Parts: sequence; C-alpha cells; structure tokens
Amino acid sequence: MSMTKEHAEQYKNDPAVLCCRATKGTVIGPAELEDPAIFPDMIDSGLISIGPGTLTVGEVLGATLIRDVDGLTALTGELLEGVKAKAASPVQAVPAPSAAQSAPVQSGGVMRIVAQQITGLDMTIPMGVYAGAPAAECPGEKEWDEELGSLEKREFAVKEVKLGGKTLFENGVLTIREDIVRDALKVSSLVKKLEIDIITPDKRHVRTETVMDVIPVATKIEGDIGSGVTHILDDMVFMLTGVDEDGVQVHEFGSCEGMLDEKVIFGRPGCPDQNDIIVRVHAVLQRLTGMERRGPYAAHKACDFIIQEIRDVLKTKSATEASKTEILKSVRRHGRARVVLVKEIMGQGAMHDNVMLPSEPAGVPGGRQNVDLGNVPIVMDVNEVRDGGIHALCCIGPATKEVTRHYFREPILEALAADEEVDLVGVVFIGSPQVNDEKTFVAKRLGALVGTMNVDGAIVTTEGFGNNHIDFALNIEEIGKRGISVVGVSFCAYQGQLVVGNKYMDAMIEINKDKAGFESEKLAENSITPDDAKRAILMLKTKISGIAVAPSDRKWNQEVIDQNQKTANAIV
Amino acid sequence: MRKLTVSHDLQSEIFAPTTPPPVWTPLTKALNKCKVGFATAGGIHLKTQKPFHTAGDFTYREIPIDTPSSELMVTHGGFDNSDINKDVNAMLPIDRLRELAKEGFIGSLTPVLIGFMGGGGNVEEFRNRTGPAIAKIFKDAGADIVLLTGGCGTCHRSATIVQRAIESAGVSTIIIAALPPIAKQQGAPRIAAAHVPIGSNAGEPNNKAMQTAILKDSLNLVGEMKEFGSLKLLPYEYRHNV
Repeated sequence: MSMTKEHAEQYKNDPAVLCCRATKGTVIGPAELEDPAIFPDMIDSGLISIGPGTLTVGEVLGATLIRDVDGLTALTGELLEGVKAKAASPVQAVPAPSAAQSAPVQSGGVMRIVAQQITGLDMTIPMGVYAGAPAAECPGEKEWDEELGSLEKREFAVKEVKLGGKTLFENGVLTIREDIVRDALKVSSLVKKLEIDIITPDKRHVRTETVMDVIPVATKIEGDIGSGVTHILDDMVFMLTGVDEDGVQVHEFGSCEGMLDEKVIFGRPGCPDQNDIIVRVHAVLQRLTGMERRGPYAAHKACDFIIQEIRDVLKTKSATEASKTEILKSVRRHGRARVVLVKEIMGQGAMHDNVMLPSEPAGVPGGRQNVDLGNVPIVMDVNEVRDGGIHALCCIGPATKEVTRHYFREPILEALAADEEVDLVGVVFIGSPQVNDEKTFVAKRLGALVGTMNVDGAIVTTEGFGNNHIDFALNIEEIGKRGISVVGVSFCAYQGQLVVGNKYMDAMIEINKDKAGFESEKLAENSITPDDAKRAILMLKTKISGIAVAPSDRKWNQEVIDQNQKTANAIV
Repeated sequence: MRKLTVSHDLQSEIFAPTTPPPVWTPLTKALNKCKVGFATAGGIHLKTQKPFHTAGDFTYREIPIDTPSSELMVTHGGFDNSDINKDVNAMLPIDRLRELAKEGFIGSLTPVLIGFMGGGGNVEEFRNRTGPAIAKIFKDAGADIVLLTGGCGTCHRSATIVQRAIESAGVSTIIIAALPPIAKQQGAPRIAAAHVPIGSNAGEPNNKAMQTAILKDSLNLVGEMKEFGSLKLLPYEYRHNV
C-alpha cells in the first residue's frame, strides 16, 4: 500500500499518480497510488510529470484501468473507466510554489459565513470579539512598562591611535605601548610572535592575513556585565589576524586573507565601520595548533592582554570626558507579545567556541566557554549581550561567522529591544555540539526552557552552515512543537541549502548577500544586518498574529527576499 | 495584547525539506576490518523461496551469503526486471561482495543478506516491524556496514525506512540509490548514486568492472561522509533500452 485509506482521504484533491506498473482491469485503490507528499522531489528530478488533465486521488479511487500502465504515470481520463464525477476541476498542471492563499485574519469588521447547504448548525460566537468596533486588541493584561535595571554606556571618541612609550588616552588620542606585544607573548607559549599596527580609514588597501575577530574596547566602571556603567572607545576597534608558523591561515571553512578593503564588508555589525581606526594584532601560532582549540584561544587571550592595558587607562576617565552617554534600560513590557531571541553558536572545539560572560566587556578571562558547558542553552539578559557578554572565538567561513563585535550590536536584538509592540524576554545562546546525540540533547533542553518562558514567539538564528543546520532544524522544531511561533534566520542560499527540515520551518529568513549564494570569504558578508532583522521581526509578528506566511520556493530565490524587504521597508 | 504590525504579503525565504530526524552511526573501523551486509528492496529472493506479493509486501527473505547468483530471482512489479533477469548483481551484487571479501577490500560478510520488495510498501509496517527486524539480523551478525538498494519510487522509500532502522541500531549504512531525491527526502543518512536506471542501481548487468567500482566507491563513502543526508553522485553511467 502506497497510501493508506486515511492518507488517500487527506490527499483526495492532489494529483493521482500510479506508484507501480499495473495491468488492465486493475481497480485503483490507495495501494496503487503514489504518495503526493513526495511529488515535489519527483518532479524536480524528472521522475514524474503532472499534466493539466491529471485526475485527483478522489476521482480515480474505484476506477478501473483500461490498459496496462507503467509506474509513476499521472492518471488521466483516457486510462480509466468509472472515474467519479468531478469533485472539483482537474489538477491545474504542476503545483508551482505560489503566494499565500491564506484567509486573512480580520481584526475588525464583520464575520461572513457562506454555505450552499447547512443543517444542524450550532455556533457559539464569544461576545466582545465580534461585537464591537476595534476588535484588534485582545482582552488581557494591561500595557505597562516595568523597569528592571539599566546600563549606562559612556562613549569616548578616538581621533587618533599611535604606538608609543606608554599606554595613554588623552584628548581623544590613544597611545599604545609599543613593547606591549613582548609582554603579551608571555600569555601563552603557543603564541610564537605578535605584531601590532594601526590602519587608518584612508589606508585600507593593505595586505591582511585571515581575520579571526573584531573586538571593541570597553571596560566596566560599575557593576557586572549588563548593568552599572561601561566605558567604550568609539571610532576604533581591534582586529585579530592569525597564521601558524608554517604560514597556514587560522581558519576553518575558507579564510579572508588578501587586501583588507576587498576582504572586509565595512559597516556590517561585526566589522569595522568605514571610518573606524583599526588596531591590528597579528598572531603567529605554534605549527599545527591552528585547528586545535588551544591555538586560536591562545591568540584571543594574547590580544585581550593588550586590550586590557587600554581598558585600565579607560577606567580612569571621568564621565565628563565622554563624548556621548547612553542609558539602556532593561524593560519588561507587560501587555505585549512576549518574544525570545535564540542564537545558535558553534560548540565543536577549535575555533568553534565562544566565551560567555567574561569579567570585562568583550573580554576573555573570567568567562565560561560553551563547549565546556556542554553546549546547553544559556539565557542572557538583553543588556548582558550588548554589554559584551559574548567573546566569539569564531568559526566557519568568514562570511557567515559572527565575530565579537557582532554581539555588541546584534541587529535583531537591537530591533526587538527597541520595538514597543513586543516584550523581548531574553536571549538564549545554544551551542552546536559535534556529536549527533548531543545535538538532540541540547535542542530538547532548549525546547523545555523556552516552554517555561511563556513566550508567543521566538526568532532562532545560526551562524555558519552545514552540520549546524541539523541543530538549527531541531531547535526550531523543539520550540515550534510547543505551539510557539518561530522564525528561523540563516545563511542557506546555494552553498548552504538545508539538508534537513521539518514542518515548523515555514517562516524563514535568508541572510545571504553573495550574488552566487556562496560563502564568499569576505568578512561578515553573509551575516545578519538591520535589513534582515526588519524582515525577521515582521515575519514573526505576522506568524504570531495567525496570518500565514506563504511557503518558500523550492530553491533559493533572491526575488522573494527582495520582495519581502520591500514589504518590510514600506510597513516598518 | 497589543496589536502587532503584520503583512499579508510575506513569503518564507528558505526551502526546508521535510525530513525525519537525523540518524547517524559513524564508521570507526578501516574497511578491511569491517563486516559488511547488504539489503535490497528490489524484490530479490531464492528461486526456492515464496515470491513477493507485487501489490505490496512487507515480508523479507534471508539469502545465505554462499548462495550462487544463479539461484536468485526477482519478483517486483514496479519497474522493468530485464536487467536483473540478465544479472542479479545489478540489484544485489552478491558475487561482487564475495570478491571484495576475498581480495581483502572488506573484512568479511554477514552470513545472510536480506531481500524484500519495497514497491508500494506499507510505511507503518516497514517502520515498526520489518525495519527493526532486519536491523536486528544485521546487528546480531556483528555487521559494521550495511549497503542497500531500492527499485521504484516507493521502493526507495521502503529501503530508506529499513536503512534508518539499521543505522539507528548502530550500524553504518549507505543506500546505492537510483532515485536519490527520494532517499534524501525520506531521511537516508548516506546516499551514493550512479547514473543508472531503476533496477540497475548497483551497475550495468554483467559489467563486473562497473559493479565493483560502484560497490568500492559506496563502501569508501561510508567512512568519508561526515554528515547526515550526504549525497554523492558516482561517475558511472549506463542506459538500458527496454
């Protein structure tokens, strides 16, 4: 039996295709018919073609073949006798992926019921929902904002960075002690050589080794990460590059060595901005340690040693010297849709790791690495994330990885935090383990955790592509099956096409920016931007509101993304 | 709850194939140390065994590994049988397997191979009974690797269900598919596919070189593939005229 009776009933309006060769006189039952659920793949691979005259499953059941017919043939009137009267018109050619045919949810206006024949109708319509004019707002909790805490960010503009005898920050000029690299070498014997240089905005056409990370300089003045006061240097950023003693780039799936201006997408959340001064720290690691966890980690620690000396100077600056002060309030928005942001990060050793909640913003010491924590989901407060709660040890290709600066100004987090229509309850970080069983374990923990959060919706993002898409699918499923609306955000396009999926992955945002859909080996090219965030959040709100998102095309189609962007730009 | 800004014009941007959850058993041994089994959904059985019911059959036949290929036959209504009639190795390469064991390419073979008829296969029966039963036979025999072939479209579905059961039991598997999209969509952990018609998944009939090459490549892929759902197209082509 190719289909069960129940299955045939479910697919009665789908095209009828013979599953195996059948002889003249065969009475068509569910057993003779191919399962419509696998038609799209069979059409794609040219195994079946469904013409305009193809009858539906409902029409052919009980009909008799009038000649021998090969397997995988679409059944038409010429092949059968005793076809049932048409329930509807024959199938309209190949079912092309189409725009949504969903019934829009009307929040106001009238309810209209049309029936050609109706008996024994017993309807109960709740009072209040359809009784009066503005039915949009559901009765429920009253809107009010509850302040839970705040973070003060004092920003200090940097006009110039130079190397000199002593680390100083005076009148916008940052001087970095030139011989600091000698001391930084003592951090780890795996770091064989360190170099430091300054790249000003007018001198971007310089050779670079692969970029391991981009790190803002920030330090705590009061409180822990996520609260109190933080000092930050503006208009400058650290960039860590690395090779091993044999000149092998410290990278995993592709690397971005080359000319800096061609290999970095300036202005991406994770990248230096166009006008930033870059302090480049270049590390040479012990041979063959570039793809071991200890190698890249040593480079990050050495770089952080240099940054710490600047942090210590920055701590001494008074609030009056700040060029800008921003208060980021942590607010519970009662009476609004509750949403959670889930960030899937890598958790497979080597560069596939992140330091969580270090002692200093975007620092290394004091933090816990998600690999050591078994990649289980860890919840962070929104302000913890934007106060440098994640130091990314970075992984995968340059284009899709999320570097430390990315988390400092994560576009979806920033947009959700600023959006008064929703209540962003927190950010969950979950690692992608190397072992398949562990993938299931952590995904199930995520589902249970999010299930306790009483949220209406979740956005799940992942950096990278490949085996972490197995986690991505599991994570979305575990949340989705609890009745929570989920939107997935990832680079897939051509090179990263999903190998697994499930029915909860029906509202997805593509973050590819490469024309051919590849890991372009340009830093952060295929990472999340504010435009992507706009589409993701609109899609989530749409899904939470019960409005259907049209199914995706069966292949990556940039036009769909452009059209969604147009829609989002017009509304948001 | 406050009304949300929504749109009726959004379309999902990424295609997500609906596949069952991943199953995966990594291969941890060298091929020349592995015990290898083979299962085919292509309706192969001993001439002395009861033929399959061609409209759907979820029973299976145990084929002793020392069975001469001349004593095997096919009962499958879902595709043209002429290639298998010429040479059963096109679907169940039993002679090639024995040669590979003899030359030391693989360690040994399981005492029995399995034939079933996957055409129009009842999904529930295959998932809940036939698959686990076949998996147990291979697991009990100490198999490290099981290769599979399938015939028609639903046959590939049945073969993949059995493959997943074997993989779940802790044996690394690969399907040599003629219809790789179906195997992939149905959640096959590893898929190899040559450019061959249904019925000659394992290579052109009486073409020993091609059959051996497809088998060797597929066996190598079991260790090389690192991710669930991996698919490799093999560079062998054969077209038949029926």
